[in-house]
Amino acid sequence: MSKTFDDIVKQLVDMGGVVEELKASEVYVRVPRDRLRNFARFLYESGAYFKTCVGVDERQLNNMFAVYYIFGLDELGKDVVLRALAPEDDAWVDSITSEVPAADWCELEFRDLVGIEPRNRLVRRLVLPEDWPDGVYPLRKEFKYDMRPPVGAFREELAEETGIPVGPYHPALHEPEYFELYVEGEKIVDVAYRGFHVHRGIEKLAESPRFTYKQVPFLAERICGICGFVHSTCYLMALEKAAGIEVPERAEFIRSIVLEVERLHSHLLWLGVAAHLLGYDAGFMHAWRIRERVMVLAEYLTGSRKTYGINIIGGVRKDIDLDKIDKTMRTMASLKEEFSKLTEVMLSVPQVKSRASGTGILSKSEARALSVVGPVARASGLYRDIRKDYPYLAYKRVSFKVPLYTEGDNLARLLVRVDEVYESIEIIKQLIDALPGGSISVEEYEIPVGRKAVAAIEAPRGEDVHFIITGVGRPYRWRVRAPTYQNIPALRAMLRGTPLADAPLTIASIDPCFSCTDRVVVYDMRSGRRSSIRITRGG
Amino acid sequence: MVKLSIAKILQIALKAGRVTRKYPSEQPLLTPEFRGAIRIDPTKCWGCGACVRVCPPNALTLTPKDKVATLEYFVGRCIFCGMCAEVCPANAITVTKEFELSSTSIEDLKSGVVHRLVRCSSCGELIWTEAELRATVKSSPISEEYITLCPKCRKLKFGKAAMLGRGGSSE
Amino acid sequence: MSNLAKALKAIRKSIWVYHLNSGSCNACDIEVLDALTPYFDVERFGVKLVGSPRHADVILLTGPITRESLPKVVRAIRAMPRPRLILALGSCGVGGGIWWDSYSTTGGFKKLEDILRENGVEIDRVVYVPGCPVRPEAIIYGILLLLGAVEQKSKRVEVYASES
Repeated sequence: MSKTFDDIVKQLVDMGGVVEELKASEVYVRVPRDRLRNFARFLYESGAYFKTCVGVDERQLNNMFAVYYIFGLDELGKDVVLRALAPEDDAWVDSITSEVPAADWCELEFRDLVGIEPRNRLVRRLVLPEDWPDGVYPLRKEFKYDMRPPVGAFREELAEETGIPVGPYHPALHEPEYFELYVEGEKIVDVAYRGFHVHRGIEKLAESPRFTYKQVPFLAERICGICGFVHSTCYLMALEKAAGIEVPERAEFIRSIVLEVERLHSHLLWLGVAAHLLGYDAGFMHAWRIRERVMVLAEYLTGSRKTYGINIIGGVRKDIDLDKIDKTMRTMASLKEEFSKLTEVMLSVPQVKSRASGTGILSKSEARALSVVGPVARASGLYRDIRKDYPYLAYKRVSFKVPLYTEGDNLARLLVRVDEVYESIEIIKQLIDALPGGSISVEEYEIPVGRKAVAAIEAPRGEDVHFIITGVGRPYRWRVRAPTYQNIPALRAMLRGTPLADAPLTIASIDPCFSCTDRVVVYDMRSGRRSSIRITRGG
Repeated sequence: MVKLSIAKILQIALKAGRVTRKYPSEQPLLTPEFRGAIRIDPTKCWGCGACVRVCPPNALTLTPKDKVATLEYFVGRCIFCGMCAEVCPANAITVTKEFELSSTSIEDLKSGVVHRLVRCSSCGELIWTEAELRATVKSSPISEEYITLCPKCRKLKFGKAAMLGRGGSSE
Repeated sequence: MSNLAKALKAIRKSIWVYHLNSGSCNACDIEVLDALTPYFDVERFGVKLVGSPRHADVILLTGPITRESLPKVVRAIRAMPRPRLILALGSCGVGGGIWWDSYSTTGGFKKLEDILRENGVEIDRVVYVPGCPVRPEAIIYGILLLLGAVEQKSKRVEVYASES
């Protein structure tokens, strides 16, 4: 990119934007709400990736609703945040999806949760259940966090359906994912997605009186049981950035070590599941056997096998002593040896190779348009890694490679993760070697009201973004964008035109946080018949 | 090719050997750092409610009822973060390694420490728990006649005493 | 011998479980899977994961039962043959977890049980397994408790803060 950050900011001002706040790492620009798409187009053409958009009920502050569109200039390591205001009685903003397809979901999300209408696009309900009453917006300030609208409608529906053997949801219910695949014979022609079964109202809870700044890390950790530490760290990074809290170096190192341990367990988990989906159960069992060592290590370092609970504002709660260092180093050495043997065998099994290569292809241009993140982006030839682009915590102090493949198929995504396991092992060793002394948390801090900050972390699945506006005692607004959120829309591109048999592996290849079993409803476009197939994980 | 990979995976399996822990007849795979359920020591607890305020999932609750206040611990909602043990001023909470908590009834997952409440000797309003009163007396000797007063009555009494110019005592 | 005791005796050595995720964060779910893998190997007890509640002896329920998933949870449990045995896993499944009073969750198994009863679905036995997430060993312990192979350790205690 030839443009500098100053050039971009200047051009945004020339186009009619008003710079509200200029920080070292990000800029907030207020833009007119009817011309959002022009600004978005300009930023996208300048090489920015779309991160997320956030709807905020700011009526207590200025009688307006606000929408923040967050763009990341990866090559400069800086964020541009566009802010548009809409009055309460006429709450709409211009949609940017025609320029930035990646904004599809988050625009629907603020429509559902805050009640701001994105204009000039197709809308549908995305996050809230079908029977949620119209005109009730959970993220508006007057909505009480524990208000539960009655669920009358569902009982009637149940009564009607008694005795009918399978509904579209069949025993399905597992995790957020529920896909409808439209097929012609064996070929998939389109994909529809209905998710958000796991919507638990986390963002609302964090701003409810039940929570304080100190308690939110534990809530953030439970967003995802696999990469929970990423979320609590990212929340704290955003908060510490907003409040200007300096975290001791040792705490930064410990956080980085635990983040990498988490990446190891997540990738090993995924490799096992991928092996299972390919019908290679021996690989599944061995991958999980190796993974168990990482789990024991995680428990030894933090006190819990998952949802580690060691993150607090300004540092961590548990120190790493010599015994722990010793155990970590030994685990890493044996892990590397066992893992290299296992992957060597796994990748030499011809069925694995032939089923994974050439299936579920995501081209580089599609990957760019959808702003995909993490291993999915890196397998499609996009050089994106937050650890390199926006160095955070202790990552500026270690050297590592970012694996890059250009094929964009399932095998490439598998290989990216295999390579990352080796890189993570090396990162952990380097971090342990360079572990500085000193305290592990700050004693005193103050959190001013009304500060904003964006923070991003490279989670095992890709870029995790947290946006925070500080309030009194608790966040005024806290927005989380998990990596899978950005990657699921890419599945449509991956699945179209592939045979049905490859669908389970392709869906799993983005590592979408599935749990044990997921079902896919299959519509045959010719006969209109409906049946369901199973994607199992273990068992 | 396939046969070769089978031979290789066999090698891996043989090298790993048997890793299965025969739980429950063998010890579980616990590390010394593991955080399990908490235990509240009823001889130390003051009933001050510091743990209640810090508990993220509200697994600890302090409910006053008539003459007592019960500090209830519902392990079925506990997230095992151990923050309560950290903030406890009386060191009454310990994090144990207990994880075999299964139960067939939800009531069995609750346990409580009951605190007797003390009323203000002047206005009769409930003020604090007996245990906290004792602890306060121990740590900072307060004049006998002030200790059983609620903050409002205490202020009033002290104000009167000061006006009379007799220092801390009003009689 | 009651029907339930007979059924428990019959499934003693081959327990088929169906894993029902009602909006959980995934931690309990991967621990359920972990219980199947070499270090814990629940197949020692004949436990097998099946893909349909119609085949299941026991349902492993994880998650706080979100509003979106509630109708599907009810439908899946209804599809299960009697006796309906349920293992409510994790602090979400037992007491609603950290989001027990949020607008989009139901808040734990107790509430679900009421909804099930209103809809004419009876549950024969429930075992609550606390943990956040539940350890694989805790899941094994819960299954053994369901079968009556181990003694229950948890007991309601209420003590007065004593003087000393």
